[in-house]
Amino acid sequence: MNWRTSARVVLIPVVSILLVFLVWDLIIRIFNVEPFVAPSPGEALGALRDNWSTLWPLAIETIRETTYGFVLGAVLGFVLAVAMAQTRIVQGLVYPVLISSQAVPIIAIAAPLVILLGFGIWPKIVIVAWIVFFPVAVSVLDGLANVDEDLLKLAHVMGGTRSRVFLKIRLPATVSPLYSGLKIGATYAVTGAIIGELVASTGDSLAGFQRNANSSLDTPAVWGTTILMTAIGIGWFLLVMTFERLTTPWRTRNTVRRLPFSRHND
Amino acid sequence: MTAKLAVNECTKTFGPTVALASTTLAIEPGEFVSLVGPSGCGKSTLFNVVSGLLRPDNGRVEIDGVDVTGHSGHVGYMLQKDLLIPWRSVVDNITLGAALTRGVTKADQTQAVDFARRYGLGDFLDHYPHALSGGMRQRVALMRTLATNHDLLLLDEPFGALDSQTRLEMQQWLLEVWSETQRTVLFVTHDVDESIFLSDRILVMSPRPGRIVSELVVNLPRPRTLQQMTEPDFIAVKRQILDLLHGTVTV
Repeated sequence: MNWRTSARVVLIPVVSILLVFLVWDLIIRIFNVEPFVAPSPGEALGALRDNWSTLWPLAIETIRETTYGFVLGAVLGFVLAVAMAQTRIVQGLVYPVLISSQAVPIIAIAAPLVILLGFGIWPKIVIVAWIVFFPVAVSVLDGLANVDEDLLKLAHVMGGTRSRVFLKIRLPATVSPLYSGLKIGATYAVTGAIIGELVASTGDSLAGFQRNANSSLDTPAVWGTTILMTAIGIGWFLLVMTFERLTTPWRTRNTVRRLPFSRHND
Repeated sequence: MTAKLAVNECTKTFGPTVALASTTLAIEPGEFVSLVGPSGCGKSTLFNVVSGLLRPDNGRVEIDGVDVTGHSGHVGYMLQKDLLIPWRSVVDNITLGAALTRGVTKADQTQAVDFARRYGLGDFLDHYPHALSGGMRQRVALMRTLATNHDLLLLDEPFGALDSQTRLEMQQWLLEVWSETQRTVLFVTHDVDESIFLSDRILVMSPRPGRIVSELVVNLPRPRTLQQMTEPDFIAVKRQILDLLHGTVTV
């Protein structure tokens, strides 16, 4: 990437976020809204700064919940999709369950999960995984189903074995759709963790902090916490995107960057 | 001498459609033979029967005298779509056959690099396909076909999607590759000029039911040059083929 594209990739999103803040600020000013009703971005960020020493450890906890849940959900989704792609019967059996799992309102399943799994980190992990596995499974299934028929024909004419065709053609073909699924999952993962915290919360969490701020009418702190939660979601998205760029160089780069061991170990 | 490829009285029907009426043909080692004919004439069916993708209803397919009817893995095969794998570099695309059958060895890598260097891809060894032009991609696809080390190559309109300029270049390049590597080629095309320019022999096919209706020997001297394409001998063969394809034509 040259500096021009880097500037475009970094600068334009920053500008668009700044514009959102600007519009928000203008609305508060024009309608002369009181801070306890809705704060300006400055007030919200100010509250975030003032409570930083309390919020930061809580944010770390939320990040931990999303990390474990995200990894668990992604692995589950991927394995499930690969298993489903093997036979029609498995696919037929699992697909309705897959859809039903997402029709269950997460907020409704949260309380039973807390009863089942206790007030610790587990219900949050399960909720995040519950949300993340679905887009991953669906996009990987798509990737497996959409391999070019002619390419499979060619592989057949070449005398390719079933397992090698799977490893060399079908499986790598899931990488790009996998990332689409992961990116969707990344932005939803934080929502899942916060729902878990809200239901299971004993106070020591971002959701708990926000609820306390809400009941003491500290509206700027409520909004500030929301900004922090959003930032964690964006961070996840950026992380997945960076991984995507690094691991799918064929979409962006002209030549292969050879690792020392990659040359002869096919 | 045993024929490189012998198709003996193969037929194939799909439901009520006779895709391929009883067809017999033989190709000698080192020969370049083209199949021409309108769409629906059974070219693809014949191709798929020879490649082993389809098992004929009747008849036998022999390669080097060995019965391979309905078995794949005995021919090099290339289509109009290059089917390069986007996440594999040029060299790794060329070694795909080995990767899909037994694993790529150092010898496969060396052979792939040699092919690529010898036939104009030396600067692109580690490039991903998306960075290559259509002509370059088809070169890689042909190298991939050669690297499977089968003597018989089935090429199904490999240059059909290229612009006419690139296509001419690729035809000359293919003849160079063919004469140096001494493979046997069965080539499908719609393009009459292309078939004459490349082939030793042309089989003309006709639809409903798909069958070979005629065979022409192209006696133009090799190596072929672009000048030949405007000479009377070439035009005479072309007139014959057009006659067969479209009935009597007045040129």
